[in-house]
Amino acid sequence: MPQDSAVRPYAGETYYGCPALKASPFGWKTAGYIFLAGLSGSAQILGTVADLGGGREKRNLVRNARGLAIAGTVVGPALLIGDLHTPSRWYNMLRIFRRTSPMSIGSYILTGFGAFSALTLGADRLGLAGVARVAQVPAAVAGTGMSVYTAALLSATSTPLWAASPRLLSVRFGASAMASAAAALSLGERLGGRPEGAETLDRVAMAASAVDLVASVAAEREYKAEGVAGPVEEGPWAPVEKIGAIAVGAAVPLVCHAINARRERPSAALSVLGSLAILAGGMALRSAMLHAGNRSATRPRDYFRFARPRPALDHRPAPDRIAR
Amino acid sequence: MAVSMGVPARALDYADPILPGLIPDEAELTAGVRIEPGKSYGFFTDTTLCIGCKACEVACKEWNALPADEVGLTGNSYDNTGRLSANTWRHVAFVEKIGTNGKRAAEMAPFQSNWLMMSDVCKHCHNAPCLEACPTGALFRTEFDTVVVQQDICNGCGYCVPACPFGVVDLNEVDGKAHKCTLCYDRLKGGLEPACAKSCPTDSIQFGEVPDLVEKARARVEDLHGRGAVDAYLYGAPGEPGATGDLGHLNAFFLLTDRPEVYGLPTAPTRASNRVAPALGAGLATMAGLTLAAIALFATNRFATNRRR
Ligand code: SF4
Repeated sequence: MPQDSAVRPYAGETYYGCPALKASPFGWKTAGYIFLAGLSGSAQILGTVADLGGGREKRNLVRNARGLAIAGTVVGPALLIGDLHTPSRWYNMLRIFRRTSPMSIGSYILTGFGAFSALTLGADRLGLAGVARVAQVPAAVAGTGMSVYTAALLSATSTPLWAASPRLLSVRFGASAMASAAAALSLGERLGGRPEGAETLDRVAMAASAVDLVASVAAEREYKAEGVAGPVEEGPWAPVEKIGAIAVGAAVPLVCHAINARRERPSAALSVLGSLAILAGGMALRSAMLHAGNRSATRPRDYFRFARPRPALDHRPAPDRIAR
Repeated sequence: MAVSMGVPARALDYADPILPGLIPDEAELTAGVRIEPGKSYGFFTDTTLCIGCKACEVACKEWNALPADEVGLTGNSYDNTGRLSANTWRHVAFVEKIGTNGKRAAEMAPFQSNWLMMSDVCKHCHNAPCLEACPTGALFRTEFDTVVVQQDICNGCGYCVPACPFGVVDLNEVDGKAHKCTLCYDRLKGGLEPACAKSCPTDSIQFGEVPDLVEKARARVEDLHGRGAVDAYLYGAPGEPGATGDLGHLNAFFLLTDRPEVYGLPTAPTRASNRVAPALGAGLATMAGLTLAAIALFATNRFATNRRR
């Protein structure tokens, strides 16, 4: 039986304030990858939706989307391999499949996404529209994985800020990915002088930003309730999260696109402003969560508050089998 | 294995100070355990016996040829090792309980002279989060039920580092690989008990088969309670603090006398991989919803465009 000393409520004890965890070694390259993976994955989804249901005048939009997907599959792996500490052995990522590891799951999502996206764009360029039409579907399905598996990757750690709210982190990453893809494609439509396509995309971005905003506010509350909100409440990453990710990344575009949606003649300036805000905010969200998470791992009290007994969880019988 | 007066039976087989050669199944002499593949091995670290000599730290560094991390003073009591790391696989924590509320105690209980000393190590978790996170299979479970990093496979992604709920495994920036305690995998293969346990002069670190160790540890707690040390409890044994959140049990478990956080340990660590399904599920549902919204918006737009024509 655990004695009194182990079960009395936590009162802030630490071992000389030393970190009880090690922070991930992930830096700006991983944050950049998470942003790019979401952008390119969701672009493939929107490209597929536009191709199958958008009509002839969406040709250029579809091409741009396929190009964005390829950009993700070329630059993404370069960023990931660049963040390995033994990059020459990157191929060991495909040595096994481990369903308990989002990094393993993600390696296969990225591989599948890359292969089908390349096939889609290649067939498109060679004039094989039928092949592109079929290949884009599995690419888009992998694109949904690209948009959100990175949130599962961060959550499936012991880092308190990442672990405290797995569902809401994933909703935020997914919504931000969809908003970013819509924003980038909307900018493409504006540059190409096709305001109608941009208007449809802005509505998609508006819906995604609304989801992002609601999930962000809910996540902040959950972090506070879990006692792990420190790194997003104070220090260098607090403004990046609050101003960059939430205000600029979700609230500003929501307002811009909402005003436009009610107008008879939508303003191009508002549309472009909303799109740029989404892209900047998307990068801010990934950077803030990554770096604030690394900080939270070094704050022992945050971790000890998070790693408190939860009767509902702790009395499940432990399975005997280990996942390999 | 028959043990009389706490001395393993075979301990007296080699009385001569000059040994003829390698002693077969040497762990039978030193720990009373025969090491066989397929069984579960671990450590029981009884902190009430620790005298803070750091013989375990030294033996570990010597056997595993690990370099020093840094030479300096932390200011944290006698703990100048600081933490477990890629190069430090045993770490003796020192807690001086010299009073409360900033006041020095005028009287001290006889037990342990109000010192807490604890030799920390990789817990070789039953459902090890580091192993479950490893995408290359470099981290694997050995035939001795321990968790080891295969250096020739590790590509230094570092995902095991934040996965570990005890802050154990660490990347070495020099060779770009993850490192941690191997429970002396090489020694176990040769029938030797791990270096730290063998060197521990007070038997604070005991090596053995996990079920035997748990039994011994429970008896030790009973004994301590009987002698008035009512704060003693196990950390990481099945069903105890530390063995929470689906981790199963910890093959390297501890007897502690203050709450876990005082030693830098979490009361209820969790199994990180349990968060994969909720995160992926919520994310994919979000994507499905937004994709449906996009389909509806593109369809409406097409309808409107066609009407305008
Ligand atoms: S304590 Fe950490 S490094 Fe050791 S087996 Fe458990 S998760 Fe892995």
